[in-house]
Amino acid sequence: MSASRVQAITRRILQQFRRDHRTLALLFGAPLVILALLGYLLRGGGEVPKMGVVNLDGGPLGSLVASTLASSKTVSASSMSQADAEARLKSGDIAGFVLLPSDFTAQVQQQRIVAPAVHLEGSQPGLSQSILQSVSQSFVALAGQAGGVQFTPRVVFLYGGPSFDTLDYFGAAFIGLVVFFLVFVITAVAFLRERGQGTLERLMASPLRRAEIVLGYMLGFTVLALVQSAEVLAFSLLVLHVHNVGNVALIFLLEALMAIAAVNLGIFLSMFARTEFQAVQFIPLVIVPQMLLAGIIFPVSTEPGPLQALSHVLPLTYAVEGLRNIMIKGADLTWPSLQLDMGVVLGFCILVILAGATTLRRRIA
Amino acid sequence: MATEPYAVDVEGVVKRFGQQAALDGVTLRVRRGEVYGLLGPNGAGKTTLIRSLVGLVAPEAGTVSVLGHRMPQLEVLARIGYMTQQAALYPDLSAEENVHFFGAIYGRVDGVRDALELVDLWDRRRSVVSTLSGGMRTRCSLACALVHKPDLLLLDEPTVGVDPQLRVQLWDRFRKMAAGGTSIVVSSHVMDEAERCDRLGLIRFGKLLAEGTVAEIKVKAGVDRLEDAFLKLSESPA
Repeated sequence: MSASRVQAITRRILQQFRRDHRTLALLFGAPLVILALLGYLLRGGGEVPKMGVVNLDGGPLGSLVASTLASSKTVSASSMSQADAEARLKSGDIAGFVLLPSDFTAQVQQQRIVAPAVHLEGSQPGLSQSILQSVSQSFVALAGQAGGVQFTPRVVFLYGGPSFDTLDYFGAAFIGLVVFFLVFVITAVAFLRERGQGTLERLMASPLRRAEIVLGYMLGFTVLALVQSAEVLAFSLLVLHVHNVGNVALIFLLEALMAIAAVNLGIFLSMFARTEFQAVQFIPLVIVPQMLLAGIIFPVSTEPGPLQALSHVLPLTYAVEGLRNIMIKGADLTWPSLQLDMGVVLGFCILVILAGATTLRRRIA
Repeated sequence: MATEPYAVDVEGVVKRFGQQAALDGVTLRVRRGEVYGLLGPNGAGKTTLIRSLVGLVAPEAGTVSVLGHRMPQLEVLARIGYMTQQAALYPDLSAEENVHFFGAIYGRVDGVRDALELVDLWDRRRSVVSTLSGGMRTRCSLACALVHKPDLLLLDEPTVGVDPQLRVQLWDRFRKMAAGGTSIVVSSHVMDEAERCDRLGLIRFGKLLAEGTVAEIKVKAGVDRLEDAFLKLSESPA
């Protein structure tokens, strides 16, 4: 073991990085960007979940609960009629509502049991949790007024339900995610290899048109991506038994669109990297922010305002929402929300195909 | 075709990379069926000149015409074979698959066998390129460049890192193709290869120093050896 030889290697590595400004920027810049994003996401005073309060009770305790909830900082509660609440729950405008029956005050006073119905939209576990917590906290105030009462809410789920586990919620999003990211990385690296081994130079000197290169790449990798999508989907549904009430063909269609978008995003972004090493660096820049902001783990509706705007620009947000729409809510193509999701993903596909073809620089007379 | 007197017609081409002029007003013509040698040291501008012939370099001034057409033009590219300095091949494909791929790009898969036989790789056609020796890869790369039987073959230092025996074989093939009517532009910094060209262009610092047959260049410089001629012409202000 020679210290000077070890030192030579150490030194060489540091010398290499000194010249690679892009990697240095990434090494020291990306962690701050990602952590700042995460910090802002979690502590940035994001929006709280919206809920409704349907108070049918004529007595004093119903309005006490309603006003406690209205002043709550963990939810944004507003009073509404039962029909209104049900409609807004279905449209996704509110994440849940609490129904206080007409005999609420009497029940509490006579039986010392509080059993209001809490209706939850159910497709976002984080939101459901917040609402249940806020409702139970509002009853703490009630207990102070009415003396010791037992709080046993009846929870009704519009989608999903108590049998849902974490995988059921996140499975839908991850089915698309896995395909999107793997296909993106593989395409970007393959395209850079073409550049590195000199064959791209050869292709550029041939009568190939750039659209032919992009289209050929797209079809080749799409074949692989579709097989992968089918495999991921089959494994999720048949082996993991991820909850699905929707049409499997629709899930596959959305996944296929995501795969095509990923192929073309890979081609497009590989134009901005010179080596495969640099392509891998797109992962923390392109992939991690999308994972945080696409509503996979943190619901978009509770993000701080500026981040919500950003999320609404990211195509992955729509893809994730689309998959949840299909698998958890059983949406089909007649649903306007799914039409929007599919439309955005399709539009993004077309955008990256065009971007890839134009960036593949080539002067044609 | 008689309407195309020159295979290559380069007129006053200038190309700069930053401050550095890679081509500084180069004018040269390559006749049909001729083997034209671009001779010059590393960094003289040979590769840039060849790349400008296939439209990969856009000249800042001057014109480039190939086979009678102003470049770049896709129809003309289909009639050019381009062998890059590095053996640009797909390492995971077999020799035959590589040649077949480039044949398909040019719409001429019928030439695969001829091309592989010409470079003596027909017996090794099923070998994956990553398992081939350096010399074999060079030959495979050459086969990819001529699978579509191009009218003009551009060879960028095709014999770098090739042993003397193979070099002789390759040159025999270039001569044979030229005899069949193919125009060939070949760059090199090896002087003894220059003797095999019909005409030479001596290039340095992006300028064409002299042009002509080997004998003409020797006479012009007033020396007996091509190497000396090159040195002498480089010194004198062109």
